[in-house]
Amino acid sequence: MTALDWLILALRVLVPLVALLTAAGLLSWVERRGAGMIQDRPGPNRVGPFGLLQPLADAMKFFFKEDIIPTKADAVLYVLAPAIALFSALTTFAVIPYGASLPAAGRTVPLIGADVSIGVLYIFALTSLSVYGIVLAGWSSNNKFSLMGGLRSSAQIISYELAMTTAAAGVILSTGSFRLTEVVARQEGTWLGFVPRWNVIPQLLGFVIFFITGFAETNRLPFDLPEAEAELVAGYHTEYSSSMKFAMFFMAEYINMAVASALTVTLFLGGWSLPGFHPHGVLGGILSILIFTAKTAFLLWVFVWVRWTLPRFRYDQLMRIGWKALLPLALLNLLWVAAIVKLGWI
Amino acid sequence: MERLVFDAAAVLTVLFAAVMVVHRHPVKSVLSLVVSFFGLAVCFVLLSAPFIAAIQVIVYAGAILVLFLFVLMLLNVPEEEREQEPRRVQRALSGVALVVFAVLLLRLLKSYGESEFARRGALSGEVAPLASLLFSRYLLPFEALSILLLAALVGAYVLARPEKGP
Repeated sequence: MTALDWLILALRVLVPLVALLTAAGLLSWVERRGAGMIQDRPGPNRVGPFGLLQPLADAMKFFFKEDIIPTKADAVLYVLAPAIALFSALTTFAVIPYGASLPAAGRTVPLIGADVSIGVLYIFALTSLSVYGIVLAGWSSNNKFSLMGGLRSSAQIISYELAMTTAAAGVILSTGSFRLTEVVARQEGTWLGFVPRWNVIPQLLGFVIFFITGFAETNRLPFDLPEAEAELVAGYHTEYSSSMKFAMFFMAEYINMAVASALTVTLFLGGWSLPGFHPHGVLGGILSILIFTAKTAFLLWVFVWVRWTLPRFRYDQLMRIGWKALLPLALLNLLWVAAIVKLGWI
Repeated sequence: MERLVFDAAAVLTVLFAAVMVVHRHPVKSVLSLVVSFFGLAVCFVLLSAPFIAAIQVIVYAGAILVLFLFVLMLLNVPEEEREQEPRRVQRALSGVALVVFAVLLLRLLKSYGESEFARRGALSGEVAPLASLLFSRYLLPFEALSILLLAALVGAYVLARPEKGP
């Protein structure tokens, strides 16, 4: 590999990483403005145009706050926990194709961090590690509210992971590969000339289950029991009252949301593809990135929309939905997909 | 480069496995095992078996050990106190274990460098060849294993089910 190849590889990896970190800040603004809109109030609108610089101001504040480690806390794990949370959030995006390809310096650059053969499994492996960040934060803080939050989170994530992977298995079955670029490639083109060949159409049930479990896996309302403020103060990050460590959890949550949306788009909504769109040249490559971003942004808005619309589930309801509704329905979806694949309908 | 990463991962795996055994705090023991499994997964990737690596992380590090951690936290197990018993039987058995370990290590070191994986070139850890083996040649053991797991699941349910009143 020449120096130019290395540079291109570095850009392929770094650009989405920086975009994710920026998106995390931007999303906190969208969330607060969205909440304001839904609750009929302005929301933050003082810093910069439309309050757009508010996330920057918040970040500055976090940097200058005093860094506190509780006396009775386990210092090493207490510091490690937010790092684990942010690490697993940031690394998952590496295998998601965020565009078609871009011609640059005589090469065709695929717009993906790493096109590995186990793409979907890689994502599930890293998201299953993200629970350690939350659990360790809860345990190392030495605080009963934190511990309760951590326990709830581990139970919730394990329960919903099953339904999530089973729903994703439908897509893998109809694609015949774990590779996410192939998942997208199979969704190009149309049925009957106008219906996009997206997985969401034959696998609507799978899409709904996957998206719902995405809320649970990212601890978002209505599944935010690990940090239910009405009963647990702030759940697993109660003791992370200030400083960048709290900011890292905060960023991890928004990045997880972005990854969950991007993954849903890739698996069910055709990734960067659009009926009648055949990416060609630099313009095509850029357009494909924009299409992917637009689809992801829409799902992210749904995340915000749901948060300020629905109330929180009770713990027993949460477990019942996960095990008695979503898991059997996901299995049913898998059977349906197996049947239509065998019959050659898709 | 690959060699360097592999060696580092292998050393970490063994090191944290040892920490898991000797650490007095149960929660930290579990965490060392997580690190150890992660190191093992890295080794699998470098041995061109990415599927095994992913399953290693998803099943062991991501599910089973989280459950361990869950139970330990729920019971709030304190740091272990070392007892001052003589434990004669255990000491004798540990001697036997040490001999077995030494023999295994010796065999491993003797075969070092001739690369088991290179010789079995046909055996790949990629998804498709593995799946075709599992669903053709090893179909019966595969299904038998899944029935075994189901039996364990049913057994756990029967044991944990609340007793019906008289």
